Amino acid sequence: MASVATMLSARRGRGKADWTDWFSYGYLLLGLVLMFGPVLWLVLSSFKSAAALNEFPPHFLPYGQKSVAVAGHETPLPLYLVTLPDGATRELAEVRRIGIQATLVDPNAPDREYKINIRDRKPVRDLQFATGNYSEIFAKFSFGTYLWNSVFITVVATLITLLFNAMAAFALSKYRFGGRDAVFLLIISTLMIPPTIILVPNFLVVSELGLLNSLWGVIWPAVATPTGVFILRQYMLTIPDELIDAARMDHASEWRIFWRIILPLSAPALAVLAIFSVMWRWNDFLWPLIVLSRTEKFTLQLALNAFQGELTTQWHYLLAMTVVTLLPVTLVFAFLQKYITTGIASAGVK
Amino acid sequence: MAGLQLKRVAKRYGATTVIHGIDLEVKNGEFVVFVGPSGCGKSTLLRMIAGLESASDGDIVIDGNRVNDVSAAQRGLAMVFQSYALYPHMTVYQNLAFGLENLRTPRATIDAKVRGAAQMLRLDALLERRPTQLSGGQRQRVAIGRAIVRDPTIFLFDEPLSNLDAELRVQMRSEITALHARLGTTMIYVTHDQVEAMTMADRIVVLRAGSVEQIGTPLDLYNRPDNRFVAGFIGSPQMNFLSGRIATIRDEGARIALDAAPHAASDAALPVRVSTATVEQRVLLGIRPEHVTIGAAQAGSLHVTATIDRVEQLGAASFLYCTLSSGERLTVHASGQVGYTGGEQMTVNLPVSDTHLFDATDAETAVALR
Repeated sequence: MASVATMLSARRGRGKADWTDWFSYGYLLLGLVLMFGPVLWLVLSSFKSAAALNEFPPHFLPYGQKSVAVAGHETPLPLYLVTLPDGATRELAEVRRIGIQATLVDPNAPDREYKINIRDRKPVRDLQFATGNYSEIFAKFSFGTYLWNSVFITVVATLITLLFNAMAAFALSKYRFGGRDAVFLLIISTLMIPPTIILVPNFLVVSELGLLNSLWGVIWPAVATPTGVFILRQYMLTIPDELIDAARMDHASEWRIFWRIILPLSAPALAVLAIFSVMWRWNDFLWPLIVLSRTEKFTLQLALNAFQGELTTQWHYLLAMTVVTLLPVTLVFAFLQKYITTGIASAGVK
Repeated sequence: MAGLQLKRVAKRYGATTVIHGIDLEVKNGEFVVFVGPSGCGKSTLLRMIAGLESASDGDIVIDGNRVNDVSAAQRGLAMVFQSYALYPHMTVYQNLAFGLENLRTPRATIDAKVRGAAQMLRLDALLERRPTQLSGGQRQRVAIGRAIVRDPTIFLFDEPLSNLDAELRVQMRSEITALHARLGTTMIYVTHDQVEAMTMADRIVVLRAGSVEQIGTPLDLYNRPDNRFVAGFIGSPQMNFLSGRIATIRDEGARIALDAAPHAASDAALPVRVSTATVEQRVLLGIRPEHVTIGAAQAGSLHVTATIDRVEQLGAASFLYCTLSSGERLTVHASGQVGYTGGEQMTVNLPVSDTHLFDATDAETAVALR
């Protein structure tokens, strides 16, 4: 905690704050607001009820009207701050409203009714977190199915990506064979082909393989990535060849060298690729949209999109769902980022 | 335990030949050191024996079996690398056990062998540490331990001490020698340090530019170097080389006139084979610094006048760096302490019985004339 305080009050030099300090903090604050503001807005809005979302002007926090249980009435009545004709103000509960006239009662003495012009009453508001937005999306929609589809695609595709790319990188970095550099260049050069160009060929292949409307149809085309091969190969080049020689002298098979020596030592690079892969697969929209057309195969991203396609958009559900969609990537990133730094620290020593 | 034979073993990378057909026989239980300047191919030769590099030509025979096409893992050898090559993500115990696990050794046997090796190398307290938490000497011992646990037929060492500081190097040197005495396993040891070679080896193989210059026991190489290269490589400080010519040849040998003293031929003859030497032939006379004596001219010696440039007093010994009238340099190793200082002139004796004569007509090979 103290280190956080030190970091936040760091200054250039030891004396009073320089104008560059003000500028730096201003710039950083602007960045913070620009980057984090929309996310905060999203999270707070996801706790608003449908009515609160439609209010104008909008409120930053999820306010709702306070209501109170009154004897003789089945449902809680909305509470208003009323200016009585004699000038006094009281909190009264509204029983009914006809035209511009409202009938209110005192919650503590419900027998006496006040008839008031609606202009003389203001709703009493307090913070109300509409947690129902979250609980209801699980009940009302097959949110669990979408979540499972997304998780399955992300986890399986990431595992296969790590395995396949690491195997390719191992061969390209540690074996000497004719055409090795040509193969590597070929793999890297595919980075220059925009994904939209190969959309149709990919679709045809997946379709021929009968993988349309199957989660594997999303997974297989995505597992071999030139970026992954590149990251891992560059990292594996830094692993000394003598370790592999030593393992060979230790009777290790090539697969065992890969599995027991190369993979553990590549952990920092694998963590980087894992983060990338999880983000790519989780946020992937276009390719799943093409491959998956049946609702029960939808990923979260597709489901979010489908929500907006209706005549009316149920914003309170959409926002809650968006928050839930963001959470896993954020968690994965937070966890693996810590792992990367420790990985580099321990691998930095020869 | 096993013997090793190399028959015309060669290594080529494309058009470049780095090992030129080497023949060598290593007897069972022998400690053989490959020594030579960096780039002479000694490590490549070792890696070819290990199976980490393929031989372009010739046969590698272990225990009577040709192993050229046998993989490194199947040859049953163990190797200690210059950088130790310990697996950084495994503990010392796991490092030692890795090879045995690959052989599917029962867990109890692995444990017994690892603990046995650890005890022998004084690593018992370090088994749960990782290599990064060890000192250089400890890492070195782990690397040796990793070789020991598998009971290899031949140990291969690739410059194992070059990353250690001087004191530790001396200590590890005697530890490896003691290990050899205890295990009795054949060991092949690569180094560029001739002191290591002299102190550890049963036999030394001197390599230069991919060829064997001489094979012999340490004292063989010291006393009877085959050529100027071996003479200069073995011994510290280096042997002095003075150029001259053969003045006369008789039956008992040749008399030499040095460029530094052209009019005084040696009064004793050096034994040479008359068939290989001719009168007026250019020669190099080699003499080790410790054989040069200072003072009045003695019989059976060549005498030259030397000007002292610099004197190093080590207490028990002194080194005098001198220049001769020919401009050649001469190092003198005198025991004890001397009263000379820089700038003085003195007469030095080169006892003929301690000199070595090399053919200077081919400066590149400079074969010994005997």
